[in-house]
Amino acid sequence: MTPPKDSPAGKALRQSMAWIHAWLGLLAGWILFAMFLTGTASYFRPEITQWMQPELRPAVVPPGQAAESAIRYLQRTSPDDLQWFIYLPDDRTAATRVFARAKPNPDAPPAKRRPEFKLDPATGQPLEARDTRGGEHFYRFHFQLQIPHPWGRWLAGVCAIFMLAAIMSGVITHKRFFADFFTLRWSKGQRSWLDAHNVSAVLALPFHAMITYTGLITLVAMYMPWPVLANFSKPAEFNAQAYGAPPEGKASGRAAPLLPVGPMIDAAARTWGGDTPRTVVIRNPNDAAATVTVLRSTAGRLSARPDSITFSGATGERLYQSPPSGPAIATAGVMLGLHLGHFAGPVMRWTYFLLGLTGAAMVGTGLVLWTVKRRKPNAAPFFGLRLVERLNIGAVACLPVGMAAFLLANRLIPPGMADRAKLEVATMFWVWFGLAALSLLRPARRAWADTLALAAAAFTAIPLVNAMTTNRGLVPSAVTGDWLFVGFDAAMLGVAALCGLAAWRAWPRAAVAAPSKPRAAKIAQPAAALEETHVA
Amino acid sequence: MSRNRPRQTTWPDAARMTARAFTTLFGSYAAAAGIATLLARLLPGSRVEASAWGMILSFLLFAGFGLWAFHERRLLVVAPVLWGAAAVSIGTTFLLGVRP
Repeated sequence: MTPPKDSPAGKALRQSMAWIHAWLGLLAGWILFAMFLTGTASYFRPEITQWMQPELRPAVVPPGQAAESAIRYLQRTSPDDLQWFIYLPDDRTAATRVFARAKPNPDAPPAKRRPEFKLDPATGQPLEARDTRGGEHFYRFHFQLQIPHPWGRWLAGVCAIFMLAAIMSGVITHKRFFADFFTLRWSKGQRSWLDAHNVSAVLALPFHAMITYTGLITLVAMYMPWPVLANFSKPAEFNAQAYGAPPEGKASGRAAPLLPVGPMIDAAARTWGGDTPRTVVIRNPNDAAATVTVLRSTAGRLSARPDSITFSGATGERLYQSPPSGPAIATAGVMLGLHLGHFAGPVMRWTYFLLGLTGAAMVGTGLVLWTVKRRKPNAAPFFGLRLVERLNIGAVACLPVGMAAFLLANRLIPPGMADRAKLEVATMFWVWFGLAALSLLRPARRAWADTLALAAAAFTAIPLVNAMTTNRGLVPSAVTGDWLFVGFDAAMLGVAALCGLAAWRAWPRAAVAAPSKPRAAKIAQPAAALEETHVA
Repeated sequence: MSRNRPRQTTWPDAARMTARAFTTLFGSYAAAAGIATLLARLLPGSRVEASAWGMILSFLLFAGFGLWAFHERRLLVVAPVLWGAAAVSIGTTFLLGVRP
């Protein structure tokens, strides 16, 4: 295909955009790869958490029953608290989660945040299971990067804006979208890496653009609070008006029994056209001024705006309902919903997962392309090239092994061990960074292949170790119809196969084989010509 | 064996690139934030909606300014435009004050 004639200004724009694209991608690429990979895993956050607590097999009950049983537990354990938060189970979460906030004591320093409990939705009894961060770890890491607040979120934000600019500059750089969609030439050295980068980028471009922009919107209040400050002297008013936060009333001091919340939940569900509630917040329980706020589930809804209805806990009267949102707030709610993907059913969730993997592939291939493009035959690599290559190995090949180690640690650390949840998280980072350090001892090509092969082995080990340490292995799960565990093990084997394929492709034999003349000629293209090829 | 080394960077080159990178990152943010905030302050309709539109559009401005800052070769054009846009928009918003 002959590229269309380009004006000098257009050519200059494309060349400058290609330059910016390469550097934006490089500077943020390693963190973006980690954000993409862990964020993609987070689409199965509740399922990962369920897999990481194999002891739990609670019964599925209606939300009203789960709320009532949780309230019975809270009435027994902390009837005089300021607030009870009850996170109801749904078809993706097995347990009810409860968290109670004590009344502040003006004579004592602020108390530490109390732990959250998991309850059996049917009985309201506390569930005993191994302590783990579960899928929450990948989710939190993908925007906090395990760096103290607020720096992790700021760093993630900088990387996200780099990504957005890289996408925009990448689009301007390209002229052959349709052709690139169908172009993937294997075993052609740099050409193959460029094709792989183009295919993964072009194939899912709308997804990448959407997920990047909406990712920024999820933390917009932190990154860009200024428009709110120009319109509200008290920023909390913005939240109250935008999201309909219910008023936080004070206790009256007069005792009054808390009415059953089941009818309130049913009334809220009727108002929302049958949508189920996800969270119940009870303020000042057993007081005449008690309130019961029911928050709408975001499952099955495109907008992630948290609608709510507040009832009097003493009389059952409807006190407050979040107002309908205007176009801008609705847009922001939909953007948030698109990023989180809570609306997605199983098919759409897997689609999100696969598109997320193409995002990781796009960043990963772009990082590799940066080095391949700058390596010259018969020339020792300069320091920057060697540094980038090693960082690429550390990010692209070693992180998956770290993630597999996190899951393996969940099965191998004794369930009753103190601080085991922290130890699981620490295992991921020790393995990730330790492996990156160890890979320095091997030639780069060999380090790629070894580490990817290790990733394949680690992911293959997950179903095996699961079968050896629990009674929910692949075979018994298939027999009993435990499809979550079957799906998880199958997904791990799928990821192992991908890593194995990558290891096989990276194996050094290809490097030592004598290249054919045409291939050698292509590798030897001058950098300027290659840049031109990319631009064209 | 020859060394595959890029052209040596001189100190003036490095200083210009540092200034451009600083202006791109912080100047683009300041200009995007200033213009989005002024827009939010001036847009008719409810305060909530105006604020939300400003916030939603701000990142598009930020990325656009950032790309232009590296496309335009003359730093002496980039810096005054970005820092000037930031100063004018932020200053105007301050003069207008918080929306009553």
